Amino acid sequence: MKHGWQVCERVSVDVNRERPAVDAGWHRVHPASPFVRGWVALAAVVVFFGRDIFERALQGRELLEEGLNGRILWLLAGGAALLLVTVAGFVLSWYFTRYQLSEGYVRVNTGFLFKQQRQARLDRVQAIDIVQPLLARIFGLAELKFEVADAGESAVRLAYLPIGQAKQLRATILGRAAGVVADGGETAPVPEAPEQVVLSVPHGRLVGSLLLSEQSFFVVLGAIASVVFSVLTESGAVILYLIPAILGLGAAYWKSFNKGFNFTAAISPDGIRLRYGLLDTQAQTVPPGRIQALKITQPPLWRILGWYRIQVNVAGYGGAPGNENAARTTLLPVGGLGEVMQTLALVLPDPGTPEPHRVFTAALNGLDSDAGFTTTPRRARLIAPLGWRRNAFLSTGTALLLRSGRWWRQVVLVPHQRTQSMALTQGPVARRFGVADLVLHTTAGPVVPRLIQADVGEAVALFDQQAARAREARKRQTSEQWLAELSRAGSLPVRLQPPAPLQAPADPTPTTPQEEPRHG
Amino acid sequence: MHSAAIDPPGIGWQRVSPKYVTVRLVEWAVGNLLFVAVLSLPLVFVLLGGWLWPPLWLAVTVPAAMFVLALWRLVLIPRQVRAIGYAERNDDLLIRRGIFFQRTMVVPYGRMQYVDVAVGPVERALGLCTLKLHTASPGTNALLPGLPAAEGARLREQLTARGEARLAGL
Repeated sequence: MKHGWQVCERVSVDVNRERPAVDAGWHRVHPASPFVRGWVALAAVVVFFGRDIFERALQGRELLEEGLNGRILWLLAGGAALLLVTVAGFVLSWYFTRYQLSEGYVRVNTGFLFKQQRQARLDRVQAIDIVQPLLARIFGLAELKFEVADAGESAVRLAYLPIGQAKQLRATILGRAAGVVADGGETAPVPEAPEQVVLSVPHGRLVGSLLLSEQSFFVVLGAIASVVFSVLTESGAVILYLIPAILGLGAAYWKSFNKGFNFTAAISPDGIRLRYGLLDTQAQTVPPGRIQALKITQPPLWRILGWYRIQVNVAGYGGAPGNENAARTTLLPVGGLGEVMQTLALVLPDPGTPEPHRVFTAALNGLDSDAGFTTTPRRARLIAPLGWRRNAFLSTGTALLLRSGRWWRQVVLVPHQRTQSMALTQGPVARRFGVADLVLHTTAGPVVPRLIQADVGEAVALFDQQAARAREARKRQTSEQWLAELSRAGSLPVRLQPPAPLQAPADPTPTTPQEEPRHG
Repeated sequence: MHSAAIDPPGIGWQRVSPKYVTVRLVEWAVGNLLFVAVLSLPLVFVLLGGWLWPPLWLAVTVPAAMFVLALWRLVLIPRQVRAIGYAERNDDLLIRRGIFFQRTMVVPYGRMQYVDVAVGPVERALGLCTLKLHTASPGTNALLPGLPAAEGARLREQLTARGEARLAGL
């Protein structure tokens, strides 16, 4: 009954099957990887059992006392045995982990007692990440994550490969997934797609964005409250209770700083490439058309400096909360209007409107019906006293824009061909005021598109039109192989133009190789 | 058929089986009556003289209020069942439900990943089934309860066939 989209199959392997020892296409990860991954376990074993000897050595005593008491001997023997078993486990797991890239699939075999063979279709790739934790970075290693639309764990994780090999593998996977490279066995290595850095976040702005974040607002509030409290109760002990809170906050700020440091976004024929990280670095590649929905937000304090944040839903990243995922789904941690426009041009090469700059500026900062937005009707101002002039929608030729939030400004963008399903909802109060909500369903992620309090007639019309637009857009998009599609359409992928900024007045629809062919 | 302002115009809604009311009644009895019974326990203990707290008026009011609420829900059930409707269009399936909190949903055939048919014990006794559509979005909560078993099977096959014909990627 389950049809389509079977991206990831687990196949139990027939252990007795004859197979050449290491056939041509099968590779192993770097031998050092289990140690890089499991160094904590190794260190724990060594520390636990070796502490005694280490302490003796420090105190200048004999390493082994006269009349060696049995306890120490057992301890040492146990430690050595545990160490050996751990290392043996590492070596075995390394030996039995192999991967292969062929016939449009990436396959990974793991396990020696319980074997698992996993294969994922290359053209189903939603994103590829290359992650380098600090230790791996020291050894020049990197982890490659291959995401399919599962929204759970990564379909394929190869930890660790030498960084050069990881990049090479990424280029090969993307090349084949895009359909530009003949899908042979082990052919010539695919060159890395050329990329062009579109924007980067200066360190000063990152620090500023952290200082002006929502978090800081509550920190200041908390600080004032605690000062007032300590003055009122005339006790300094409150400060002591605050120490854990301060440590926790410091850690949170540090994490955001560590993740957001050195953020750059680049464009290549393989898609959008994001790089960031201070100690742990990460490079994400999101192929064209994989972004399901996009959200631009502006916390109140950021308005002073005109900054925005952009977050996206990508099917492979899923909606799991957490710091790592928050970083992965952030397309632009902090940027001005110009950067927002550039990023939008990457995501939506064809904005579907003759005057994109005006439309998106109205979406970001506008009120009322400028640039053609349709707002909440005036009669509903009682249930949305602040928001009724701001809540609005606009449908361009390629995407639906939803605007909301007077103080916490927010714009959600959903490309027409990415709409999954839609629901129109109306409660008793909304019915009294003749308004309704339209919810667009998208894959799991930080973006939840919802048009709030639109006029019933307009909402119903949009509901119908949007279904039709999504249908039309889906028909236009035929293949998952984004570059092959372009080759068929006649424009060759070797030509890489920088994405024209949205405000280019002469050319209303900037032509980049990422644009999908309009007429097949 | 109950038709409200948020429904797109010109849709011929198909309604679910009226027998589904029975399923909802059983669910209602299991849920609400048990709840009221549990809430009435303090009243029993107070009347038997075992408990000094709560006071009698509180012990009476809480279960009574819950009972009235439960009765209100009971009265609504037939109307709620009548409000459930679905319509097969050329490219998508429309599902509507609700009286106070109305929802009309459109699920394009090409977006459906798979279709579930579930049958509970009461539904089986009445020859009904529940159809559930899944898309790539966890927000798609497209549940179609109270379909006659034959209609459920037909719809499942129909939706699957149409889904395959119009299958799009993500």
